[in-house]
Amino acid sequence: MMMRGGRSLVSSPPAFSNDAKKLLVCTSNTVSVFSTATGLQITSLEGHTALVTSVVVVPPSSPAAKVLCYCWTASLDGTIRYWDFSVPELMKTIDIRVPIFNMVIPSFLDIPAEDKGKHRDLFAYVFTEDTKETQEKTKALRRQIRKCNLSKSRLVGRLILGETKKPEVLTVSPSGKFFGIRNKCKLHVWKVPDQGSEHAAVRKITLHHTKKITVIAFHPTQRVIAAGDVTGRILTWRGFGNIAFDGNNGVEKQKLINIQEDKPGVRDNDDADSCTTWHWHSAEVNVLSFSSDGAYLYSGGKEGVLVVWQLDTGKKKFLPRIGSPLLYFIDSPDPTLSAISCADNQIHLLKMPSMGILKTISGIKTPCCYPEMCKGLGNGIAFDQTAGLVALRTENYCIQFYSLFDDRGISEVQVCERNHQPGDDVTVIVTAVALSVDGSLMSTSEVKLAEEGIGGLVCLKFWQAGSQNKEFSLSTIVYEPHRDAGISAVTFHPSGNMVVSSSFGGDFKIWRCNNDIIQSDQMHQNFSWTCHAVGSYKKRPMTAAAFSADGSVLAVAAETLITLWNPYKNVLLAVLGETLTPIVNLSFLGKSDNLAAASCGSNPQLSVWSMSKLSLSWSYKLRIEAVASAVDSSSFAALALLPESSNETTFKGRDGVILLYNATNPVPTAIWSVKKAMGGALGFLQVNPSSVEEVDGKTPEVLLAYMNGDHEYVVFDPYCKDAHEVSISQKEGLSALELKGQGGQYGYASIYGELPEFDEKRPETPWVPSFPSERPWETIFSGSSHNLPPLTKLCSAFLESLLEKRTAAVE
Amino acid sequence: MAEIRAEEETSTISKTFLIKPKLKSKPRTLPQTPESKYWSSFKSTQIPNLVSSISSLSFSPSPPHSFAAAYSASVSLFSPLSLSDGDVSPSSTISSFSDVVSSLSFRSDGLLLAASDLSGLIQVFDVKTRTPLRRLRSHTRPVRFVKYPVFDKLHLLSGGDDAVVKFWDVAGENVVLDLMGHKDYVRCADCSPVSSDLFVTGSYDHTVKVWDVRVENSRSVLEVNHGKPVEDVIYLPSGGLIATAGGNSVKIWDLIGGGKMVHSMESHNKTVTSICVGRTRKEICGDKSMEDRILSVGLDGYMKVFDYGNMKVTHSMRFPAPLMSVSFSPDCKTRVIGTSNGIIFAGRRKGKENVESGGRGNVLGFESISEPERRILRPTYFRYFHRGQSEKPVEGDFLVMRNKKIKLAEHDKLLKKFRHKEALVSVLNKNNRENVVAVMEELVTRKKLLKCVSNLDTDELGLLLMFLSKNATMPRYSSLLMGLTKKVIETRAEDIRGSDALKGQIRNLKRSIEEELRIQHSLQEIQGIISPLLRIAGRR
Repeated sequence: MMMRGGRSLVSSPPAFSNDAKKLLVCTSNTVSVFSTATGLQITSLEGHTALVTSVVVVPPSSPAAKVLCYCWTASLDGTIRYWDFSVPELMKTIDIRVPIFNMVIPSFLDIPAEDKGKHRDLFAYVFTEDTKETQEKTKALRRQIRKCNLSKSRLVGRLILGETKKPEVLTVSPSGKFFGIRNKCKLHVWKVPDQGSEHAAVRKITLHHTKKITVIAFHPTQRVIAAGDVTGRILTWRGFGNIAFDGNNGVEKQKLINIQEDKPGVRDNDDADSCTTWHWHSAEVNVLSFSSDGAYLYSGGKEGVLVVWQLDTGKKKFLPRIGSPLLYFIDSPDPTLSAISCADNQIHLLKMPSMGILKTISGIKTPCCYPEMCKGLGNGIAFDQTAGLVALRTENYCIQFYSLFDDRGISEVQVCERNHQPGDDVTVIVTAVALSVDGSLMSTSEVKLAEEGIGGLVCLKFWQAGSQNKEFSLSTIVYEPHRDAGISAVTFHPSGNMVVSSSFGGDFKIWRCNNDIIQSDQMHQNFSWTCHAVGSYKKRPMTAAAFSADGSVLAVAAETLITLWNPYKNVLLAVLGETLTPIVNLSFLGKSDNLAAASCGSNPQLSVWSMSKLSLSWSYKLRIEAVASAVDSSSFAALALLPESSNETTFKGRDGVILLYNATNPVPTAIWSVKKAMGGALGFLQVNPSSVEEVDGKTPEVLLAYMNGDHEYVVFDPYCKDAHEVSISQKEGLSALELKGQGGQYGYASIYGELPEFDEKRPETPWVPSFPSERPWETIFSGSSHNLPPLTKLCSAFLESLLEKRTAAVE
Repeated sequence: MAEIRAEEETSTISKTFLIKPKLKSKPRTLPQTPESKYWSSFKSTQIPNLVSSISSLSFSPSPPHSFAAAYSASVSLFSPLSLSDGDVSPSSTISSFSDVVSSLSFRSDGLLLAASDLSGLIQVFDVKTRTPLRRLRSHTRPVRFVKYPVFDKLHLLSGGDDAVVKFWDVAGENVVLDLMGHKDYVRCADCSPVSSDLFVTGSYDHTVKVWDVRVENSRSVLEVNHGKPVEDVIYLPSGGLIATAGGNSVKIWDLIGGGKMVHSMESHNKTVTSICVGRTRKEICGDKSMEDRILSVGLDGYMKVFDYGNMKVTHSMRFPAPLMSVSFSPDCKTRVIGTSNGIIFAGRRKGKENVESGGRGNVLGFESISEPERRILRPTYFRYFHRGQSEKPVEGDFLVMRNKKIKLAEHDKLLKKFRHKEALVSVLNKNNRENVVAVMEELVTRKKLLKCVSNLDTDELGLLLMFLSKNATMPRYSSLLMGLTKKVIETRAEDIRGSDALKGQIRNLKRSIEEELRIQHSLQEIQGIISPLLRIAGRR
C-alpha cells in the first residue's frame, strides 16, 4: 500500500461546477473534486501522467443542463481529456503530443443554442511548447498559442497565433468573444471568430503599457479590459478594439477617427477609447477579476489583501490580512460564492457580498524560507505517530497539523501572536517543534531576531491539547530558557512529562511537568512546566538531544561528543566520542540499545553507537537530512543527500536516498531514491487498522512517511516487497541504486571497503564492562582510520586512562 | 418579540493581536484561599491611645454584641456598630478600680459585667448604668481571671496568684467553693459550653485541671500537663475538646478520651498569650455552613487561624506589636485584638447590618403600593422603538452572539496604522512600563525602534530618557533597555548636549547606573563568599 499527498492545490486556477456545489482543483497529476459545502474532497479524476495545467467546466446550454458535470482538462503530458466528474469517468482523450501550459475554450461560452440541427466543432486555444523545432530555432520563441479542434481531436494545422518566450496565461472573456495574453509590457487580445470554421482569420490588437503586465481580466458585458502590472497599478482600457474588430463600416470608422483625438490615457495610438489607472497595491497585482454583473473589480497581490473596486466611482473595500500572496480569484455560478487561492496552498471559499470565509480547503503549507543565519536549526517537522499527523511550522507563525492519511489540514496553532505580512522581513522564527508520543503535548521554540543587537528574545512554549478536541492551548511560556542562546533541539520524554531543551549556549535543561487538576466548572487539567535540572559538558554547545525508548537515558550531543545522562537524577553516565564534525541529529533506535548520530559539515557522517559496549558500531560518510526510528523494532530509516558529484543520469534528478537499516547490520535492508530530499523529513507511523486498507489480508505493522522539501509526502510500508513496485520512478531508482551499492562505489563502502569485517573485529577488542565511564585507551584506535581523533587528543585520553585506572585500583 | 437574524457562520482570517506585555511568572505560593479571603475581609480599624496593655477583651453575648476592653485601671465599652462608621471612641468607660484590671466577663444575658483587678477585688457592674452592684473580696493576691459560667447567672469563677480557684455566689457575695490543687499562679479558666458545672483552669504550674462543682472533696476531675506555663485555656464548642496555650504552642486535648493530646500547633515564634474560638463561613456545594477555628495571638505579633478539624493553620496575619488578647464576636462580624502598647485592632466584616431593623421597617411601610398601569406601546411612542432592547434571554431562546469587540489601546491603534513614533510617545506618556517595553519589543520585531528614536523631538526624547533612567537597571527589562540606552546616547548625543533638561536626565541615568553597579559588586562579593561553600556542599 502506498499513499501520496501534500500536493499543491494552487498550481493552476480551480474551477467551479455549474451548480457551484463542487470545486475542481488541479493537484499535480490529478484533478481533485471538493465539495464547497464541507470543504472535503469528494473524488478525483486520475489519468493524466503529468501536471494538470487547466481545467475547464462545460457551461450549461440550458438551465436544465445545470446538473451536467463535464469538464475538459489539459496537462503537460500533451493530452486533453474530457471527463464526467460526477461519476467520475474519462469520456475522451485527445493527444496532441506537445505539453500544454494553458487552455481556454471560448466557443462554448458563445450561445450554442442556435445550432440545433447542425453540429458545430468545438475549438480550444492552447498554449503549447514547440518541441520539434527546438534544435533549429533559437530557444527564444518556443511557446506558441495554437488552436485545437476538440471535436475532431486535432490541432488546427499550421495556425500559430502567437509566440512568446515563456508560457503565459491565456485569459478568456466571460462572453467568450475575446481572449488575450500578456507579454512583457504589451497585451495581446484576439477576437474569437464567429463561425466554427477552422481557418477563419483571427484578428488581434495590441495594447501597450510602460511596465511589465502581470495579469489581465475582461469585463463580462462591456468592451473593457483591465490589467495589473508589477508596480501594483491597475489599468482599465474601455472600448478596446472598436476599430480593429468592428471597423467594417466606413462611416463608423470615420467617426472613430474623429474621436481619436481625445483618447485619454491611451498610449501609442492603441485601439481603445480611454485608459484609466488605479494604484493601491504596493507590489505586483496577481489577481484581477470582474464581478459577474460587471459593477466591481476584484484585485489582489503579494500583500495578501483582496481589494474590491467599484468600477464607476473607484471606491475600495478590503478583505485584509489573508496572510499570504493571492494567486487566483474564481467567481462561481452562484453569486454568493467565490474562491481565492493563496500561495500558502489554501483555497478560501468566500461568502460573497460580505467577504467572510465560509470554508477553507487546506492543503499542506509550503515550506517557508528563512534567513541564512537560521538555517540548520532542523526542518521543524514533527510526526505524531499514533494519529498519523505531521506538525509543520508555517510562514504565519503557526504550526499546521496535517493528516497524512486523509491528506488534509486538521488544525493550526498560532505559536506567536503576530500577523504575518508577506514580503516583510522575517524577524520572528519558529525554530523547533516537538510532539509527545501520544500527541497530546507540544513544545515549540521561537526566536525573535534582534534589531542591531538589541531586543532579541528566545522563547520556549509548552502546549497541551484539550481532552475532546485536539485544539492546543498554551500552558507555559519560558522566556530566554538558556539566557540569550538559541535552542538547538527540543525532545519529549516517552512518558510525556519531561522535556529536554538543548542550547548552543552550552547547557541543556530538563523541564518537568506538574499537572494540577483544577476542579472548577469541569475537570480541567492544568499543566505547568518548571525547570528540573540543568546540565552542561565542558561548556560545549549542545547540538542535539534524544531520550531512549524507556526514558531511562538521555543522550545530548556536545558538538562532536555524545554525553549520556540519567534524566531523573541529572547524573552524567558516560561520554561517547567523537565524531569529526558537530552532531546535528541524535536518535535512539527503537528498543535496541543503539544510538544513531548524524553529523553535518565538511565531513558528514552517520554513525551508530552501541549502548551496551559504549562504542561505535559502524558509520557511513553520508550527508544525513533526517533520521527516523520505529518505536518497536530495531530498524531505522535515514534520508541521505546524494553527493553532487554522483552520476546524474542514473538518478534522473533524484538527489536523495532513503536507507532502511537494521541497527545491528550496516548493510541497508532497503533503499529508495527520492527527489527534493533537501529539507525533507522521515517519520514512522503506527498503523491504525481502521485507516489503512489491508493488503493481501494483512495490515502492515508500521508505515514510513517521507516528506520532501516541497512538503509533498508519500506513506508506504517499508517492509512490504510490493512497495518497490508501486511507483515506476521509484523502482527504477531503486534498481539503479542497488546496483551501485553492490558495485561498492559510493559511501563508506567505496572508501573503506566491506563493513562486516569491521564488525567481526569488534568482539576481539578487550574491554572492561564494570566501569562504563572508563573507556580503555586501546579502543580509541579500533575503528576506521578516518574516525581517528587527532594525536594530541589521543595523548591526553591515554594519560587520562592511566590515571583513572589507578584510582579504580585504589577503590 | 425578539427578532433573530440567523447568519451563516463565517470566519475571517484577520486576527487582531494586541500588544501585550510579557507574562510574569506566577508566584509559587498558592493564591488566596477562600478562607484567607474571609479572614482578610475583616476591615481593620485601630483604636489607639488606650493606656498600657490590653489585658482582656470580652464580647457581650446579647446583640448588638458590644465589647469591653480592660486596660490599666479602667474598662471601656465599645459598640461595633459605631466602629464600622469609623468612630473609635468608647461608648462608656468604667474607672472605679484601684489597680490594673486583669479580666472581664459578661453574664450570659449581657446585662452584667464582672471585672477583676490586681488588688484581689472582683466587681460586678450593671452594664447600662456602670454602677458596681457587688464587690467580691476574698482573694489575698492579685486575681488573674473571672468568668461567668455559660448558662448559670448566679455564680462566678475566679482565680489568681494565690493558686486558689474560687466559686462564688454573686448575690450573697460569698465563696461557695475553694478549689485547691494548683501549685502556682492560676492564670486562666473557661466554663464548659454544655454543662454549667464543669470548667477548666490553667496555671503556671504547667497543668490544666478540669473541675466539677458537684464533686464532694473539691478535687479536680482531670488534669493534663501542657509542658509550659499555661497562658490561656478554652473549651471548644463541642465541649469535649479543650485548647490550651502556653509557651509557643497551642495544644488540643480530648477530655472525653481521658485527657489525651490530639494535636499541638507550634507555629508561633513567641509565647501565645490568648486564644479564642472563631468561626468561618465555609461554602460546600453552594450552601454556606460555619466552621469553627481557633484564633491564637502571641507576643510575636501574629494572629494565626487554626483549623482543628484538619489540624492546619489556614491563615496568618501580622500586627506591628506584641498581642495580648483576642476575642471574636458571637455574630461572627467582629474580631478584636489587643496589643501590649494600648492599641486595639478591631476588625469588622461588612454584611447585612440591620437584619432586625429591616424587619421592623416592614411594619411601618405600606405592604403594597398599587403599580402604575402599564401603557400599551404604540408606534407613536418613542419607547416603542426601544422595546425589548434590555430584555434578558429566556431559557430556550436561541442566542445569536455578536463577536466581542476588541478594545484597542491608543498605542495599538497607532501601531495598526504604522505610526510607530506616535505609538511609542503615547505609551511613554501612559506611565505603564510593562506596556512601554512591550511596544518597544514590537517595534524591534518591525525593525523600527532605532528609527523611532532618531525621529523623536527634544521633549519626547526627554520622556524616553526619563523612562530609561527609571527602568534601565531593572533586571526584567535591562537586556533590552541597556542596549537601547546606549544606542539612544550614541545617536542623539548632539541633542542631549544642546538641552539642559536632557542633561539632567542623563545625570539621573548615570546615578542609577552607578547604583546598579554598586549592587552588582556587592552581589559578586557575596557570590565569591558563597561559591566555595556550595562547591564543598556539592561534593558531599
